[in-house]
Amino acid sequence: MAQVTPGIYEVQVDKNFCKACGLCVAWCPQDVLAEDDERYPFALHLEKCINCKLCERHCPDFAIEIIAPSEVLMIEDILAEGA
Amino acid sequence: MKVQTSFIVKEYLRPKMLPSTWCGGCGLGIIMGAIAQAVHFKGLDKDNVAMVSGIGCTGRMSGYMDFNTIHTTHGRAPAFATGLKMARPEMTVLTVMGDGDAMSIGGNHLIHAMRRNIGMVAIVVNNSVYGLTGGQTSPTTPIGGHTTTAQSGSFERPMNLEALARTAGAAFYARATVNHTASLTKLIERALDVSGFALVEIISNCHVLFGKMNQMAEASTMIAAMDEDTWRTNPTLLRRAHLPIRLTSPESPSAPVHALTEMDDVEDESRTWRGVIFERKGSVDLSKRYYNMLGRIREQQRAAEEMV
Ligand SMILES: Cc1ncc(C[n+]2csc(CCOP(=O)(O)OP(=O)(O)O)c2C)c(N)n1
Ligand code: SF4
Ligand code: SF4
Ligand code: SF4
Ligand SMILES: [Mg+2]
Repeated sequence: MAQVTPGIYEVQVDKNFCKACGLCVAWCPQDVLAEDDERYPFALHLEKCINCKLCERHCPDFAIEIIAPSEVLMIEDILAEGA
Repeated sequence: MKVQTSFIVKEYLRPKMLPSTWCGGCGLGIIMGAIAQAVHFKGLDKDNVAMVSGIGCTGRMSGYMDFNTIHTTHGRAPAFATGLKMARPEMTVLTVMGDGDAMSIGGNHLIHAMRRNIGMVAIVVNNSVYGLTGGQTSPTTPIGGHTTTAQSGSFERPMNLEALARTAGAAFYARATVNHTASLTKLIERALDVSGFALVEIISNCHVLFGKMNQMAEASTMIAAMDEDTWRTNPTLLRRAHLPIRLTSPESPSAPVHALTEMDDVEDESRTWRGVIFERKGSVDLSKRYYNMLGRIREQQRAAEEMV
């Protein structure tokens, strides 16, 4: 498994796709995400994100994405190839 | 492993058609993501995959996914898919239906597709109601479940699709939920490996209709309830999945029922199983058997002609 370092990820929410349903917020195990006044999610505690992608998996509208720094992406590519 | 969201959108969806018309929080989008990932992990060429859907909220999925797609008539998706598979046996066929689509109006087509054991992955999205038309009772509405046509709670016995599939002759049956997203993908992957009719029942949420009438108006509440109301199949029993040992009782809920008064104490035994329910070993897809037979007949004819 790749080493998980909290706080090196970026949370991207596409408001054109997001329907403010709250599923990502409900499923984030690290309480990274919170709802704004319009119920759209935003990263309140980005430093706690562990890139588990539960938010992505539970988003029915492909509106949230966790972006890893490039070196992490490289590790993921290698892992994907090996899988 | 999770396929990057932007990659799913770019590769397996039709971004111009998005966002979907589905209500915010509807599990159908989660299912769509799981199908894309299963196809990806299986290394299938999307141009060699067909999605055939019926009518309903579920039926709309074929409009959003970038496979070869047909949006057919209500209940007839298995019939169209049968024709497609017979004409193009090399194609991977995904047939997507709602619970009403598959079991009410389309019950007959579903039974015969299972009887023929035609090679396809049939995805039945079970949200306990007719979503598109306004939340009427469906064949899977649990006893006590309130719907727009059962205001005091349904008292009909729900359909046991699992027992039907087993007796009709399906090769594989798995039950997944939109709560357990990783296993949802995995179970679709397993179904893609099957030669013959592989059914994946997916418990999904129609929180705006069924949920709202059953104290689960929030998508997250309704999806969370699926964890309490289902029970994962014992992995050691999985090896014996071809034996009829885990028939879910007809009274078992195929929907979250913890909010329903009649079933206040959902005991472990009455929970609905999720995971691989049965798998018939040695199953061969009808289209494969057909073309094998055709090959044999042609060979015999050739041999007969040579004799002359
Ligand atoms: C021949 C015919 N009869 C009835 C209808 C009306 N109708 C459209 S969708 C639907 C039921 C949909 O329920 P389900 O299959 O559970 O799909 P969901 O919307 O819940 O995903 C009905 C009765 C129709 N479109 N065509
Ligand atoms: S990846 Fe995991 S920890 Fe990070 S925001 Fe998403 S759910 Fe929360
Ligand atoms: S799950 Fe997706 S659609 Fe729902 S609030 Fe989160 S990002 Fe938006
Ligand atoms: S009506 Fe129900 S099934 Fe249809 S999109 Fe809305 S929540 Fe989903
Ligand atoms: Mg339905």
